[in-house]
Amino acid sequence: MRLFLRAAYFEVLKIFSRLRTYIGFATIAVLIPLIMFLVRKYGFEVQDQTLRSLGNSFLFVGSLVNGLLVSYYLMNVLWVHFPFFIVLVAGDIMAGEGAAGTFRILLTRPVTRFQIITAKFFATFFYTLTIVFFLGLLSIGAGMLIVGGGDLFVFDKGILILAQSEALYRFLLAYMLAVVVQMVVASLTFLFSTITSNGIGPIIGTYAVLAVFFILSVLKINALDVIRPYLFTSYFDVFFAPFSDPIPWSEILHKVGYLLCYIFGFYIISTVIFLRKDITT
Amino acid sequence: MILQTFNLSKRFGNRWAVKNLNLSVEKGQIFGFLGPNGAGKSTTIRVLLNLIRPTNGSFELLSKNVKDHGQKIYSNIGALVEKPDFYLYLSAEQNLRILGALGGDIPPDRIKEVLEIVKLADRAKDKVRNFSHGMNQRLGIAQALLSYPELIILDEPTSGLDPQGIKEVRDLIVTLAQEQEITVFLSSHQLHEIEQTCTHMAIIDNGALVVQGGVEELLRETDFYVTEVIVDQPERACDLLKLERWIRKVSIAENVVKVQIPAKERPQLTEFLVRNHFAVYSVVPRTSLEDYYLSLLKTKEAE
Repeated sequence: MRLFLRAAYFEVLKIFSRLRTYIGFATIAVLIPLIMFLVRKYGFEVQDQTLRSLGNSFLFVGSLVNGLLVSYYLMNVLWVHFPFFIVLVAGDIMAGEGAAGTFRILLTRPVTRFQIITAKFFATFFYTLTIVFFLGLLSIGAGMLIVGGGDLFVFDKGILILAQSEALYRFLLAYMLAVVVQMVVASLTFLFSTITSNGIGPIIGTYAVLAVFFILSVLKINALDVIRPYLFTSYFDVFFAPFSDPIPWSEILHKVGYLLCYIFGFYIISTVIFLRKDITT
Repeated sequence: MILQTFNLSKRFGNRWAVKNLNLSVEKGQIFGFLGPNGAGKSTTIRVLLNLIRPTNGSFELLSKNVKDHGQKIYSNIGALVEKPDFYLYLSAEQNLRILGALGGDIPPDRIKEVLEIVKLADRAKDKVRNFSHGMNQRLGIAQALLSYPELIILDEPTSGLDPQGIKEVRDLIVTLAQEQEITVFLSSHQLHEIEQTCTHMAIIDNGALVVQGGVEELLRETDFYVTEVIVDQPERACDLLKLERWIRKVSIAENVVKVQIPAKERPQLTEFLVRNHFAVYSVVPRTSLEDYYLSLLKTKEAE
């Protein structure tokens, strides 16, 4: 156990010693405040769109646009764009060692392959958790600081207005679920990374799978209903579930259960491959 | 036995990279594992280090079967497989700290100690990406020494080094064996390297063992061990040398005298020629591995 913990610690250290790890953090750190500043200056467009659809039924006084609303909209990047920062790091975690030849030295230590791959998987999870919460904290923090706080106004089978404290709680839940979603992407990339010794392959492979699955998920063809339950992308919308009232816990548990099965499945396959793999590079 | 293989075999597709290999290395030996490129040396070493799985056969390290004792066995073994590759974005010290931590309980001072052994202590904080090939090779040996190994396995440790680097690594290997009583198993495709460094050796070709034993005994049995001498009176030199008992064989071709003696007797040969008033223009050891193979093959055919 002590050897595993050491291995996990050093895997995290390795991830955070690499420049590519900070590409995601730097992009988020620049982009989010920039968006918030732009919303503060030109944010009425969002309000107009919202109001336009409701103007006939309600009379709004003041501004609905605040930092929480923008943060809520920004969560849409978690579908397609944000996974790039995940695959960038997860794609290299196994393949990078193969390509660099460092497995030759690492695997001649008394640490087992199972410990190594589990430590790497844990480090991938730690990175995913960190960057997702970095996005969450920065988007809510910068949103409230730059655009301002207030009640969160969202559509969920109608209008839902959440008090600021309640909204923050829902955001916490949403970002925890986003970690699970991003871990599916990370573990798929991890699997590809175990198979190949090329850092680019897992990135392309993961995005290819995501693209195909997204297409199959959104196409409104009845015949595809048969396969949709088997596509992990069908459950990716789980991180928006906390913004319903009441919170649909059973739906969340059902979707998270499926996603955890995928994560565990990808990890098991990766482990079996790695345990049997001849290190010839 | 500190290292022993039992009919060890590895097949890649239809090709046997290693076939029924039986090696025996005793404690304290500097064991040279010799063979041309593609002979199966690296594959054997990778099998011994659990990097690849053998197709057939088994092996013991430190008198323990790896199948029974698992990866723990490697806590007393240091290894360097082919060229050493480290995390380029980390310093030498950080690399060793990671590898040391995965090697059991290593005292904090050990990293400094091994860096001093390989003369890299002053570059400990430098990122490995700024290291030359020779420095990388020495760092590779440093990591192999981290966990006070009883056995170190080195795969072509002087590959790609300049003459000065080669000498440093060879001296280091001999020092480790003599002063720290570490058994060394090293592979090479250069016979003169084995000759100068090792006490024992095995020759592998096409994945099969050709011969193994003490270096001196094996080399003495063959006809390859020739020193080429150019002197002012080659005919007279040849006649005189033929009378000497310590010289096994002397011949002459195109005014070059070919003397069959072990390497350690070369100074004696030079001294003999000078003492007998020859102008010695050159004394060149010709230790070609190919010649040795040919001589072995000839011997086998004759048998």
